Amino acid sequence: MAELPESHSRRDWLLRGLEVIVAATVAVLLYPVARFLRPRKQMQSGALEVVAPFRLNQLKLQAQPPFDFDGKPCLVVCTPEGEVRAFNAVCTHLDCTVGFRADHGDIFCQCHLGVYDLHGRNVSGPPPRSLEAYKVTLRGDKDKPGQEEIIVSRTT
Amino acid sequence: MSPAPHDVPPANATFRQRVRCFFGERLGLESLTALAAKKHVPIHRATVFYFLGGMALFLFGIQVITGILLALYYKPSPDQAFESVRAIMTEVDYGWLIRSIHSWSANLLIGVLLLHLLTTYIMRAYRRPREFTWITGVFLLGLFMAFGFSGYLLPWNQLAFFATRVGTGIMGAVPFVGHELLLFARGGENVTGDTLARFYAVHVVILPLAVFALLGLHLYLVQKHGMSIPPWAAAKVGGERNVPSMPFVPHFLLRDMVGWYIALGILAALAALFPWELGHKADPFGSAPQGIKPEWYFLAMFQTLKHLPQHVLGIEGETVGVLFFNFCGLVVLLIPFVDYRAAQGRPRHLLNLLATLVVVGFIVMTAWGLLEK
Repeated sequence: MAELPESHSRRDWLLRGLEVIVAATVAVLLYPVARFLRPRKQMQSGALEVVAPFRLNQLKLQAQPPFDFDGKPCLVVCTPEGEVRAFNAVCTHLDCTVGFRADHGDIFCQCHLGVYDLHGRNVSGPPPRSLEAYKVTLRGDKDKPGQEEIIVSRTT
Repeated sequence: MSPAPHDVPPANATFRQRVRCFFGERLGLESLTALAAKKHVPIHRATVFYFLGGMALFLFGIQVITGILLALYYKPSPDQAFESVRAIMTEVDYGWLIRSIHSWSANLLIGVLLLHLLTTYIMRAYRRPREFTWITGVFLLGLFMAFGFSGYLLPWNQLAFFATRVGTGIMGAVPFVGHELLLFARGGENVTGDTLARFYAVHVVILPLAVFALLGLHLYLVQKHGMSIPPWAAAKVGGERNVPSMPFVPHFLLRDMVGWYIALGILAALAALFPWELGHKADPFGSAPQGIKPEWYFLAMFQTLKHLPQHVLGIEGETVGVLFFNFCGLVVLLIPFVDYRAAQGRPRHLLNLLATLVVVGFIVMTAWGLLEK
């Protein structure tokens, strides 16, 4: 039958109708599946600021690992001059998490050897942009130097 | 090698014909179409029974697809299993639908398989040379019941937890090796996170692999031997050769599809009107809640064990029950050899009597279990 030239017989119309119905069924079945596959909304605090889980003197004594700031790692570093800076620790190259490199005194990405200075500027390697910088506020008692809390907030 | 003449589309070929030729030449689709054209379905009073295998296959396909989807969000650990299923039911778009269809389809599948088994028995389709088709089928039923049992625990709710405690506890009643079996099934003395991990691995890795292998063999055997014609249908028209038949493609396949549409409609309606419950999170140290019951297809066994006396002929009631069920399973498995002269048309009165007793017993015990408060 398929070898015959196309004819608009009743049978052809029925077969075409069947194909349309099957295609419509598949579409109806795929819709909830596609919606199911879409990731659900992540619960995020949307926090604008966070207190670092360490005090100033701890940071000066030893480099501290990144911590969670609204779902992203936040790296806080202390310059040799004693200035505290905070960055979004996600490398601008391919989403690795950067870390402070004590022996070089810079910020380094292990994945593709990207190097940033302590201002977060991309110095060498593949990163295309500087790290996103956060604002740092120190809160504490003047009588107890080093005990200040480090508050990181978005600059915007 | 030059392409066969029929692979070259004529100059005035339509787009469809050209596409068909393109793939036919490269993939050798003729062998498939030839195989499909060879398959015929006999027409007689019980032709409707032939739909059950295809229906089971369709429901299994639904299980595979919805199961894979659920695995994308499910987390198999006692701390997270319940919460992840709750998230599927409440947070993920259409998650309630996917999970409800998976649960309902699982139950319908077992029902269809039981009917498939029963109608195959009625048609005596297991007779020579189809003994292995029957045996692989019975093993497949066992695997699907294991699917049901292992899947039941995964939401880690109260019902599932105690059903698993009871179900694996029954294994402990097997003589001699019972305790070892119990330890093996639970992954320890108690139902814990290790049990959940085990059941998850069984449910999503081991059973699917086993089913695919066995189902492949089962379907191969069905292809190889063709559809069995019941002796009475052949006798009525004077031999199997005179039994009318229809081609499987497209005649029977289209009828199959009508059945699948109906099944899809029933599943969607069940899922929408009766979404599968989640219940309360399992508390391993809490008392069993009221109304602990297994899934309906284990209910007959559950009910029998519940009402057996503590001791039968000096042996523990549980043990007697478990041995009896295993004996029944073995007889069902070996029916082609018990009824070994089926091909000669010898009547099977005793077997029919026993089968009737088993079916009636199953229905009565299941109904009793459902109605009992």
